[in-house]
Amino acid sequence: MNKLKKYDVIDAHNHLSMDAAMKLNRADAESRLQAADRLGIDKLCVSIPLTAPCPSPDEFIRANDAVVEGMRMNRRFLGFCFVNPGYQTEALREVERCIVKKKMDGIKLYHQYLICDPIMKPLMTLAAELGVPVLMHAGKCTDAETLKSQPLLSNAMHFLKAAEMFPETTLIQGHIGGGGDWEWNLRVLEKRPPNVYIDTSGSVIDRGIVNKTIEALGIDHVLFATDGIFEEGAGKVIDAGLRESEYRKLLRGNFQHILAMRKV
Amino acid sequence: MLFDVNTAIGHWPFRKLADNDASSLRKLLESHKITMAAVANLNGIFYKNTQDANLELAEELAPHRDFFAGIATLNPAYAAWERDLEHCVRTLGFKGLRLLPQYHNYPIFSAEAINIATAAAQFDIPIFIPQMIVDKRQKHWMDVETFVDVSELGKLCRKVPQAKFILTEYRISAKLIDESGKPLYPNLYIEISRLRSAYMQDLAKLAKSLGSDHLLFGSGAPFKEISPAILKMQCADLSEREKAQINGLNAQSLFNL
Repeated sequence: MNKLKKYDVIDAHNHLSMDAAMKLNRADAESRLQAADRLGIDKLCVSIPLTAPCPSPDEFIRANDAVVEGMRMNRRFLGFCFVNPGYQTEALREVERCIVKKKMDGIKLYHQYLICDPIMKPLMTLAAELGVPVLMHAGKCTDAETLKSQPLLSNAMHFLKAAEMFPETTLIQGHIGGGGDWEWNLRVLEKRPPNVYIDTSGSVIDRGIVNKTIEALGIDHVLFATDGIFEEGAGKVIDAGLRESEYRKLLRGNFQHILAMRKV
Repeated sequence: MLFDVNTAIGHWPFRKLADNDASSLRKLLESHKITMAAVANLNGIFYKNTQDANLELAEELAPHRDFFAGIATLNPAYAAWERDLEHCVRTLGFKGLRLLPQYHNYPIFSAEAINIATAAAQFDIPIFIPQMIVDKRQKHWMDVETFVDVSELGKLCRKVPQAKFILTEYRISAKLIDESGKPLYPNLYIEISRLRSAYMQDLAKLAKSLGSDHLLFGSGAPFKEISPAILKMQCADLSEREKAQINGLNAQSLFNL
């Protein structure tokens, strides 16, 4: 079962959650670690994104405090700081706090704004200055329900535009298997913008999805992840049947490369 | 034994599939140590006269009778399904029936569905109901967007208690247990490929509440990668006996093999 264990796998996209008191849900955190153990995953990049249209600074600070609690609970959790870019001043202050003081490793964005919205500029500039990646919830969903509920969901075209707008910032497009038309996303990203990575997570396990992702972006720009959907995340990379050197990059090396860009 | 109850051959018009003929699919499944599989023909989703798809399937399966159990695809709102069902079971040797109300355009709880479920029960074959074929979030603009409503399926289960229903591609979302913890639909079986396992243990919890004799291993090949389903079984907090049931004994029993 632990075919992945020998690679010291880093899951580039996972989460923690809060309990009713808005503190870290420790049982959930423990359950994620147990699942990671069973599947041979070493470290998990975790965040608590808020999915409401406009979460307030108090709300995202509380979520990030819970992530910090998780990082203290177990060093296998690598924190990602969630902010709402609409609160520009507060978001920048919170990123500074989480990255510099709390030693988080990246920024997580949800669907409050498109990744290429001009409002992102100060945040993206700060991410580049700090040398940390920006991971964003993304997808090219085609069903009416998702289009209605997530009108500002970024897709590969938005990432392509953002890559030009913010060339110094490392962007990670979340979950190629997150439910949307992944082939469409890959056809767009065949242009291989140098600062865009994509993660393999999501519940969609269409045959060949990992191989085609690597074919489109190149092995150096694909990151292993589960997004908390563990067997799908692990199983689809096992079935990809990659070479040993490719597994080493996908499962750990590429994310380590991103971590090495850190400037603070 | 590892018996995969959720596989298909045939053409899917919205995305290119690999290994979608019987010989290639068998090789693929065997490479994952799957020893038998129930298989239906995707063409039956799209042909108006679904019996042509069943005849194609029988021809494809002829050299692979030791590995595949054929599943008929029929539309009870179309003509002559009664004769087709009898032919599929008695002449072609098929072991199950698949219904696709979301594609064939009739309600799952309807006179048509009740009639064909009753007939299937008389032949003692289980009835497969895919909750979805693919994730609707990536649907092609010509594909349907509806899932089978489990509560409506539940009405059919209750109306035809002598029939056995297998819900494939089921995602935890619908109530299957009553307030006292008993199964709401004792004649409903669940295929596991979309259940969480290592994290949250949904698969194991469902096996405890429905009974491990009511879950069935399935992969969704050739649409989906196969290892995720295998990992789900390996990660489930279940006894070896319970896993053996889900991995194949239950399917053997349902198909009278």
